[in-house]
Parts: sequence; C-alpha cells; structure tokens
Amino acid sequence: MSNTGTSTGIRVAVAGDIAEGEAIKVPAEQTGHGDAIAVFHDEGAYYALDDTCTHGQASLSEGWIEGGEVECPLHSARFCLKTGEVQCMPATVGARAHRVAVRDGEIWLHPGEEPTV
Amino acid sequence: MRRIAIVGAGLAAVSTCDALRSGGYDGELVLFSAEEGLPYDRPPLSKDVLLGKARREDIMLRPAEWYEQQGVELWPGTTVSGIRPAEGAVELSGGSVVSADRIVLATGGTPRALPVPGGDDPAVHLLRTWEESERLRERLLPGARVAVVGAGLIGAETAAVAGALGCRVTLIDPVPVPLVAAVGSEIAEALHQRHTAEGIRVVTGGVERIERRPGVDEVVLHVTGLAEPLPADTVVVGIGIRPATALAEAAGLKVDNGIVVDHEQRASQPNVFAVGDVARRDGHAVRHEHWDAAQRGGQAAAAGLLGRPVPAEQALWFWSDRHGSRLEAVGTMADADRTVLRGSPDGGAFTAFGLRADRLVAAAAIDRGRDIKAAQRLIDRGVAVDATRLADESADLRTLLRG
Repeated sequence: MSNTGTSTGIRVAVAGDIAEGEAIKVPAEQTGHGDAIAVFHDEGAYYALDDTCTHGQASLSEGWIEGGEVECPLHSARFCLKTGEVQCMPATVGARAHRVAVRDGEIWLHPGEEPTV
Repeated sequence: MRRIAIVGAGLAAVSTCDALRSGGYDGELVLFSAEEGLPYDRPPLSKDVLLGKARREDIMLRPAEWYEQQGVELWPGTTVSGIRPAEGAVELSGGSVVSADRIVLATGGTPRALPVPGGDDPAVHLLRTWEESERLRERLLPGARVAVVGAGLIGAETAAVAGALGCRVTLIDPVPVPLVAAVGSEIAEALHQRHTAEGIRVVTGGVERIERRPGVDEVVLHVTGLAEPLPADTVVVGIGIRPATALAEAAGLKVDNGIVVDHEQRASQPNVFAVGDVARRDGHAVRHEHWDAAQRGGQAAAAGLLGRPVPAEQALWFWSDRHGSRLEAVGTMADADRTVLRGSPDGGAFTAFGLRADRLVAAAAIDRGRDIKAAQRLIDRGVAVDATRLADESADLRTLLRG
C-alpha cells in the first residue's frame, strides 16, 4: 500500500474527527501490522495501541478512555495509553503501543514504531 | 513478614499475590491449590468452556512462568486440613505443617446441592470447577433433554449455552422473574423473556424430587407447577453456593454467612485474612460473589497485609453473557428509589439507572457496556445527576461526569 511505511505513516484522521475520550479503529488491512490499531484521543493528545485486548476478544477502541488509560469494554482490564502497559487484571500482557504524530492538523499513525514518550 | 500462605487458588488468591508483589512484598508467597494444574478463571466455565470454545489453557489466570517470575510457590493438588493462627502455621492433609506469618483464606465456596430426594443422582450436575464444566459439556449433546434448576446467573448462562448447543432445555425457578433485586424489574423481565424467545421452556416452580427411571439413563423431575413429571437426560443445579468456612470455623474465627472480615479483609484473628466468595464484609448483608469483588478483595487484603491504605471502594460490578447478549450491572438496584430508562426495552439493548434522590446508586444494561462504565464513575464520584439527561440518548453520559 502506498501510504504505509515507517517514514510517513498512515493518515488516519484530521483533528476534530476523533472526539475527546473517543477512539477510532484502523483495520488490519490498513495498518499492515497483523492487528487493527486503535487510535485514542485523551486530554488533547493522541495515542495508539493494538486494538484487540490482550486478554479476550474485545476492541479497545470501544473502551472507556480517561486519565491516560483505556479500560477494556469486556472485562475492564486497563492499559496505559502511552506505553500499552497493563494496569490491572484480568489482562496480564501489555498492549503494543505505536507512534502517533499530529502534523498540520492531521493525525498520522506509524504502525510498529515506538511512541515518542 | 517472611512467609504468607494463601489457601485456595482462584481469582481472589491470585489477585492477592499480584497486589502483594506490586506493593513491594519480597517475602515468600505460598499458594495452596486443592485442584491440580494452574489456577484458572471461573466465568468461562458456564460460557466458552461449556460451548467447547475454551480449553483449560485458554482460561489460566496467569501463565506458568508468572509464578516463577513473581516468586509465587504454587502447591497444586494440596489440601489444607487446618490452620493455626496463634502459632502461624498451616496443616496439610498429608500431615506436614508449613509455618506462615500471615494466612489468607481464599477457599471460595461449594455449590449448594438440591435438598430433595434424588438431588444427588449422577445425572444431576453442579458447576463450579473445570472438571464439573467438562463433565457437563460432555452431556450437552444436540437433542439432549436438559433441566436447569435455578435461573440466576449460572443457571441462565448454562441454559443459554445448552440451548445454543441444540439441547431441549427447561429452566426452573420458584421466582417468576429472577434477579429483580440485583438489576431491577425492567432489565430482569427483558432477560427472562429472552429465554422463551430463544426456545427455552421456562417453568415457575420448585423441584420436589428427582427419580431415576429404571433401565434407562434418564431421570424425571417432579416440579410444583407442572402437572406432568419432567423427563431429563441431564439436570444442572445453580442455586447458589455455601462459603467454604470449615477451616475458619475450626480455627475459632468469626463466621456468619462467610468469614467475617473488615475493610482490609482481616478476619477476627489479626494474622488471618479472607478474600473472595468465602468472605463477608462486616456490615454488608451479603457476600459479594462476583469476579470484580474477588479481584478487589485481593487488592484490599494485600494493602492490609502491607500496612498500606486500602484502595477506595467502588460500586460492585458484574456481567453475565447469555443468548449472545451481555448483561452488566453496577451497584445494587434495590438501593434505588426510582428508575430511569435509557433506550427502549423493545429494542433489545437498553439501560436502567437506579437513583436515590439526585445520586446514581445502580445501573443495569443489556448490550450497553459504555453506559455501565459511565454509571460506575458517576456512582463512585458521587456526582449529582440530571435524570432527564440520563434518559436522553442524545446526551453524552461523559458530560454528566463533569457535573
């Protein structure tokens, strides 16, 4: 796909598309990464994690986003939006975090790249 | 503290271990499990395990390497026969004695058997352990006649699974609409009606006796409210559990519908704690036999063991999956003085909010998990809520959190 690749990333939204406290799911076909990736908007910043909860078959893009964390819609495991680190059971494995950049009002996802913390 | 012994290996026990290690405890941790194998999660036993979708390795609470990494010494297949709080020791059924500075009882409960003649027939199944789930799964064959006694969470889930597997299911409960106290009448009625819509025969009545038919592998149930005896190949009983308090009682701990514990799960002997289904908070009318309560109980116990502040209490949360739908509830609907609906019961997915004055005290929802997540936060933060906005589907519940 022409718009993938680590240098430019994928343009997934423009600012305003993802409301505060909401997320979008970028399908696996588009991420080229094996899993869909959820892009979250929390307190003015954007974050991206592998979309499928590491515990069960749930989409983190449908989770509750607040305070730098996302809570899984199914069993309430929580993950740090910045690092993907698991915050509580039932998940025991962190979610992979990806870099998101905002450039000229556009939100770019860089699948497989470490987020800049 | 050099050694903490945990008796039992369900979620509350593993949660205790987890919170102890993340809280900085570096002494020994010994986990005595009566069952063989690695500790597992119980909710799937009445769902994906029965459906044949999850195997034992899919429902492990923690992977094998976690126990090594966290320094948790697991003793599977080990029965604890006694505890000695005064001297700080645990007795094993083989006769050996293990010293422990603190003892955590996470013994759970045993399912109540049907207290009627024939209630112990081999066709009658209880559901609490992996083995019981496996044994029952082998019986849920297409066309099998399955009688489920008790339409609470376990009974309803099991009935739904049996129906999905092609069994002919009868669901029996003495209460016309179960779960009203927990989730309110609107949600409870919608849930209960769903059974009938999915082809399950729902009977309001009580089982008086179960008789084995001579020469064939089937039983008949005599049920009040049914003119004819009900033949069944398999009977499943889900009428609650008894807390496994024998060790606590023998040790002289205060036991009254569970091991009585304080806010940090400490029992009446200061070096003994109790977590999970076996424990009852002093001042609480019931034991909270839910997954989330077990997890939180472990965290509170770890705080108590480490002399740290106990995490803030949160409204009780549980879920149940049946007929492809998901029930979630938070708080206790019986605490509410009025109910506000969001969405319509006719549409399948809707939420009932329970208010007391202008505060939310409970919510229950079918297939609307985000409403429950919002409700949990509204309850825990004690935010005053506007009932008309709760009912207004165009209003984002997040905005209510900002007051």
